[in-house]
Amino acid sequence: MKMNVNILKLSALCLALPLTANATQNDLVEQGKYLAKLGDCTACHTIDEGQANGGGLPFTTPFGIVYSTNISSNKEFGIGHYSLEDFTDAMRGGVAPKGNLYPAMPYTSYHLLTDQDIEALYRYFMSTKPVKQENRDNDLMFPTNIRMGLKAWNLVNHDSKVFEADADKSEKWNRGSYIVNGLGHCGECHTPRDAMFAMDQSRHFEGELIGGALASNITPKELNRQGWTKQDLDDVLRKGYSRKGTVFAGMYPVVFHSFSHLTNDDMSAVTSYLLDNDGEITAKSDTFNGHDKSDPGYDLYKGYCAGCHGIDGEGKPNVSPALIANATIDKAVPINTLSVMLNGVEEQRYSYTHGFYAMPSYRDTLSVKQLTELTNYIRKVWTKQPSDLTESQVQEWVDQIEDSIADAAH
Amino acid sequence: MSIISLSINNKAIGPIETSDDVMMIEFLHEHLNMTGTKFGCGVGVCHACTVIIDNQDGTSESVRTCINGVSRFNGKKIRTVEGHAKANEFGEIIKLSPVQETFIENFSFQCGWCTSGFVNETTVLVERLKLMPIRVSEIETVIEKALGDHVCRCTGYVKYYKAVKELILSTEGLTRP
Repeated sequence: MKMNVNILKLSALCLALPLTANATQNDLVEQGKYLAKLGDCTACHTIDEGQANGGGLPFTTPFGIVYSTNISSNKEFGIGHYSLEDFTDAMRGGVAPKGNLYPAMPYTSYHLLTDQDIEALYRYFMSTKPVKQENRDNDLMFPTNIRMGLKAWNLVNHDSKVFEADADKSEKWNRGSYIVNGLGHCGECHTPRDAMFAMDQSRHFEGELIGGALASNITPKELNRQGWTKQDLDDVLRKGYSRKGTVFAGMYPVVFHSFSHLTNDDMSAVTSYLLDNDGEITAKSDTFNGHDKSDPGYDLYKGYCAGCHGIDGEGKPNVSPALIANATIDKAVPINTLSVMLNGVEEQRYSYTHGFYAMPSYRDTLSVKQLTELTNYIRKVWTKQPSDLTESQVQEWVDQIEDSIADAAH
Repeated sequence: MSIISLSINNKAIGPIETSDDVMMIEFLHEHLNMTGTKFGCGVGVCHACTVIIDNQDGTSESVRTCINGVSRFNGKKIRTVEGHAKANEFGEIIKLSPVQETFIENFSFQCGWCTSGFVNETTVLVERLKLMPIRVSEIETVIEKALGDHVCRCTGYVKYYKAVKELILSTEGLTRP
């Protein structure tokens, strides 16, 4: 009888084993699916008219165009033939079976991932729909078109070590750091590049001009100076808009495809890390210094901006963000203020009931003199920033913005 | 408060005192009783409220009046839909502009709310083409680019675009070989 019980137990175990293995496998795939969203893989590896993960999106670099590749489970065109080891090498060292990857694929951030997370991502990608879409050849100038050169670049610029927790910081902060610096790969845009086009870690998160807009300074020092609360950051990363303004340019797809999917715990970790503060933060009082009707910028503001942003900068729900407490205008360098005036902002829609209308471009309407007066006025009324920018300074920033757009277009 | 002076349809207006937060559409309607310019979305999307600013260099441009404050128009020379047709000494309309005529001939509009915006935008387009004629092969692209942002809730786009195309082709000097 006892033996029968044991046999029964063993039978049950035998039945249970595959089920447990399946459950673990499914769990890993689900975890990988979530992590793929965190890593924003879709934004780069899916083109508008293409299938998910089929690749083909062009990336303009100073050396030419790099196309994202097919990362679906297709064995011929995608990564279906990769072993877990191949996948790990690609994620951590930027080395794929066909050779070195260009650092447009942010292995320079992904190397921080744990083995378990890499395996989860691998299991997920192996479970994706195989997409029969051929990869496009890159269009890079000599000698950057020779992949061997990347070995030397990696040798000098890349350290493939896994994330190491900071023992002086909380578990939450470390989780945030792991997400933001690893899969989130925020530093790829927000950290200035050095002469070798690698992230200059001595200026970690201090901001960089890309495609005509400044990927903002997101150091804890600057975010705290601007008066971001954890809720503000949660709002702007999850919904794209907050009391501190809206995201625009390249940050919109990041919110749409990636950060809006974060769990509450992970978002809390991210905001704790970015603000370097595990506790709650009380909102500072908003800056509104009142209008100065004798300033030439006052008429410009009334004429061009107040229709949407409100005469006192209060904004309109679902139309335009408020200027009161707006972090875009509360920056030492007004590149983004000038950028939106010159280029406008495309419509942003987050759901059927939430969104912002497009802002028109004033490139052909406002002179540099008017841009200067308007920028100074906006800073004077809604920030504590100095409002003594000169026309030549503004002209220089306008040139930088135009150059940055030209770089992105060629 | 702001003091506003400008020229509308070749008539000097002002100085008039207005509140600081008045948009141009409101100024036209409430201060001047000029209601031909229509208020649509109120957020610069539908373009129904478009008027024309005549620049000093002889060019003209279209501007939305629902999102632009009256101070943007201070000292400017502007045209509204009321300024296109010719009137006699009694104020009676005796001749429509070619743009207005072509829209009527093509039965372009239905409810007419968007029409003043289309009339003004097309007028600006025609004036631009007089200065910079286009190839015939480019007509449709140019029309779509110029009028593409104008919303017609009655969906009269085909008839509007057809009318503008006819007008461009039948007006000397707007196209080149």
